[in-house]
Amino acid sequence: MKKTGIVFFPAFDWSLGESHPEREERLLYTQEQIFEEGIIDLPQVKQYSPGVANLFDVMLTQAVFPTPHRHKLDAHLIAVGSSMILSKALMNKEISNGFAMVRPPGHHSGATVWGNRGFCTLNNEAILVNNLRSQYGIKKVAIIDTDVHHGDGTQDVFYHDPNVLCISIHQDGRTLFPGTGFTDEQGGPNAWKSTVNIPLLPGVGDEGFLYALENWILPRVSEFKPDIIINSAGQDNHFTDPLASMNCTARGYGKITDMIKPNLAVLEGGYSIQGALPYINMAIFLALAGEDYSGVIEPHKPTRSEIGGETFRTFLAGLKQQHDNLRPNWTLRQEPYLPAGEWVYLEKSVFYDTDWFKENRREYIRKCDHCGGTVLMITQNLMTFEKAALVRIPFQACDTCEQAGYDLAEHFKKAEKTLLLQNQLRNQVHLWSQGEEVSLFES
Amino acid sequence: MSYKLGIDVGGTFTDAVLINNNVVHNKGKIPTDKDNLLETIVNAMDLLDISKQKIEQITISTTLVTNAILQNRLPEVNLLLFPGSGMKLSSLPWPVNYEVLEGELDFRGREVNPPNQQEWKQLVERLKSSLNPQIAISGKFSHRNNIYEEQLASYLQKELPKADIALGSQLGQTNFYRRSLTTYLNLASQVQFLEFASQLKSAIDTRKCTAPIRVLKADGGVLPLSKIRPVESIYSGPAASVLGALAQSSSEDSYVVVDIGGTTTDIGLVLSGSPLISAQGAKIGSFLTNVRSLAVRSVPVGGDSVVLMENNKLKLANYRLGPAFCIGGYNPTPTDALRYLNLTDYGSHARAEESLASLLPESKRQPQDIRELAEEVVRIMVDRIGQAIEELQQEWQDEPAYKVWEVLHHHEDLEFYIQLSGGGASGIANALADRMNARTVLTDFSEVSNAIGAAMAKPTFSWTLNLDTYLGRYRIEETGEQGKWEGSKKPHREVEQFLKDLAYRQAETMGIEGSSLQKDQFDYFPLVESYNTVGQIIRGGMHVPPGVSGRIVK
Repeated sequence: MKKTGIVFFPAFDWSLGESHPEREERLLYTQEQIFEEGIIDLPQVKQYSPGVANLFDVMLTQAVFPTPHRHKLDAHLIAVGSSMILSKALMNKEISNGFAMVRPPGHHSGATVWGNRGFCTLNNEAILVNNLRSQYGIKKVAIIDTDVHHGDGTQDVFYHDPNVLCISIHQDGRTLFPGTGFTDEQGGPNAWKSTVNIPLLPGVGDEGFLYALENWILPRVSEFKPDIIINSAGQDNHFTDPLASMNCTARGYGKITDMIKPNLAVLEGGYSIQGALPYINMAIFLALAGEDYSGVIEPHKPTRSEIGGETFRTFLAGLKQQHDNLRPNWTLRQEPYLPAGEWVYLEKSVFYDTDWFKENRREYIRKCDHCGGTVLMITQNLMTFEKAALVRIPFQACDTCEQAGYDLAEHFKKAEKTLLLQNQLRNQVHLWSQGEEVSLFES
Repeated sequence: MSYKLGIDVGGTFTDAVLINNNVVHNKGKIPTDKDNLLETIVNAMDLLDISKQKIEQITISTTLVTNAILQNRLPEVNLLLFPGSGMKLSSLPWPVNYEVLEGELDFRGREVNPPNQQEWKQLVERLKSSLNPQIAISGKFSHRNNIYEEQLASYLQKELPKADIALGSQLGQTNFYRRSLTTYLNLASQVQFLEFASQLKSAIDTRKCTAPIRVLKADGGVLPLSKIRPVESIYSGPAASVLGALAQSSSEDSYVVVDIGGTTTDIGLVLSGSPLISAQGAKIGSFLTNVRSLAVRSVPVGGDSVVLMENNKLKLANYRLGPAFCIGGYNPTPTDALRYLNLTDYGSHARAEESLASLLPESKRQPQDIRELAEEVVRIMVDRIGQAIEELQQEWQDEPAYKVWEVLHHHEDLEFYIQLSGGGASGIANALADRMNARTVLTDFSEVSNAIGAAMAKPTFSWTLNLDTYLGRYRIEETGEQGKWEGSKKPHREVEQFLKDLAYRQAETMGIEGSSLQKDQFDYFPLVESYNTVGQIIRGGMHVPPGVSGRIVK
């Protein structure tokens, strides 16, 4: 029988503040609903207990600076670890799909992490995906982010990775946090077109969403031929969400899930904790379990005006054309410490809205025809002025890129106070602080 | 001098003990008459000659309800549901018929759609024809608000005065599906149970005994005969095994209980002196219930399981055909294998050899061949038990956790030994110790361990509170009590005192000492609307854990 796994971790003793949207109460009503309905008793359903991720898995994917020990990570490590419980069950063929209904969320957390932003500190899906690649030989992964906010963190982690397709469909950044996710963001020099952003006007509902899925997202996914599909299942496109302005219903989310057919869905945002979450979580889960979700009906009716029909189709066609016509324009840069090859230079500023500070980041990506290319990031926390460097040797790196990574690490071990070497090729992580290696396993 | 009497009705045998001041004064064992459990119990009492002693309490562990459910001997109940919207009812397997009514509540018990009175009228028309209709009413979220169930019940009671009506909200744990089925089973088994109770009472009266009668529950606790819900008496046998071990071991130990019966072996887990309780309700036949039970496994293998040779492959059947060959039966069994290997000493060695040899071709009946066969039988038996132990330990490891604190302090590492009881226990002790890489300990009163467990069991109960201060409503899951909250919107100590008072008051009526009540963790969820805290949802509990009233002295 086709088994569906669920791990439910509502973090009932954790919040970002008493009246913060990300608070203890957030999954309380979801728990009431799903356990009252008896979904755990469905013969094809298996409930898993939560797990705790280790810092090695985290640091292979995300550079938590200056060291992970400086952050309060407990709840985040459980959200990641619990999601990974399902990915492991998937790999062991215990389940054919699953839903990690976990808090806190993660999709705003990027390649370098100095704090919490958009309620996220660690990126649940990104860490899980790289664990699947390093431990289970998974090669190609598609992540479809259906949260109303741009999945900027996930995009950032995989921006230079041609083997991970990141698609985010969201309310456009002119009207909503984090203010990014426009069509010009399509991936780095070795991964161009492996990032797809579909920014929508406020007011789009089920019809528009499903249309975009059918006519843009799904064709792109099938062209990519992923081994695994992950859905970042944010639920704030709902017509009752207090932070966003979209018009989807719970049954719409069920249909979205039916169409994406993700191997794993991971809960992201969604802050209409009574009007939406109990129903959307049900609908998504029932869709995964192959059950009828047409009876999942919210008590309220939509009141926002909806953008659909011809207006929407014309809008989307224009957006798609803009997306398809874009060509990148890379800036190359030479630095004395950069090993041989062409290095593309990018700059980025990241705002940590929870803790209210900025990070500035410079990136150098080695252009490569053979692999994803070694990446160097030099980052600074503009509140503490601490600096750190990240060197990433990608999965399936070619010999030249691998060597370039070691050469950069040798240099920055001394040149920067903190250096993280993410050697995804060899499944190794090394963190140096002031020239000394820091163990990731001390408490 | 006063005595505790414990009786455990098993599938094959019924055990009885008389205990005085933690000393086993008398014990006995008789075959169970499946068709007349009452007589079996009365015979067991007479075996111990109870009229000669001053009995202070009688505890019965009986398969009455378990058998009635498993053998499908229950009267028909009309199950009326208010499922509202959500998952389709047909997504879950319903072993009984039901009727769907309009009316919907949400997860906080707020009304979404009202019931349809027209439907109720038609219902009465249809039910009128039956003399004494049995009606179970169960609504989704009725554990948060019983309004529709109560309204329909009072309407039906007025129109059909002879109807027996049960409400799902009275078994108020979360899970509409299980609550509905449990309500059904409880109502369906009520008539048989009440009849059994009254006959038992008069049988005991005629033996000039006035001791209170208590019934063992699946969670290892007891309640007075008059207070127990019939459905709670299912699976008391495995619970009795665990309690029997508890009464014969040190109070802080951690161990696996293995009780080898004629056809089944019951396995339970004790963690630092506390039996593990299953995170989910018991499953009986095709019914999933919300009956709280100890986490136990029943493996269909025992001392009398028939050994078969099929296509040159040795098999242990799931059934028994009388006793072992070595003690006068007709079929080879694990008991014969143990006897042949001199791991036990009851029964005839020659007959054990004869039975095992009969499984082998005539050309292969050398002592070495028979020895290998016997060892293989023991290995298969031990392996099945070992697998079940591992499953149970996994269930403990996999207990769900919903808080950061719980996950980070999930389970301490405990060192387990194996507490063995039942026929043949001594014979497999070494093999099981090797298989599990753990020490084994034999229970002293192995053959009546379950009856000891019943006699020594303490009452259990729990009161789980769900309070919504904004809506001004509280509910107690286990009793189904729902009432108005008139205290503060953001209470703290006040609510803990409220539950404590309520639990103490009700414990007294169930014969439970207040001092045995334990407070659970209280969780406070601030209710936020537009960034303002407008109230709280509070979950908390008081409970009396399963346990024994003393330790048996040899």
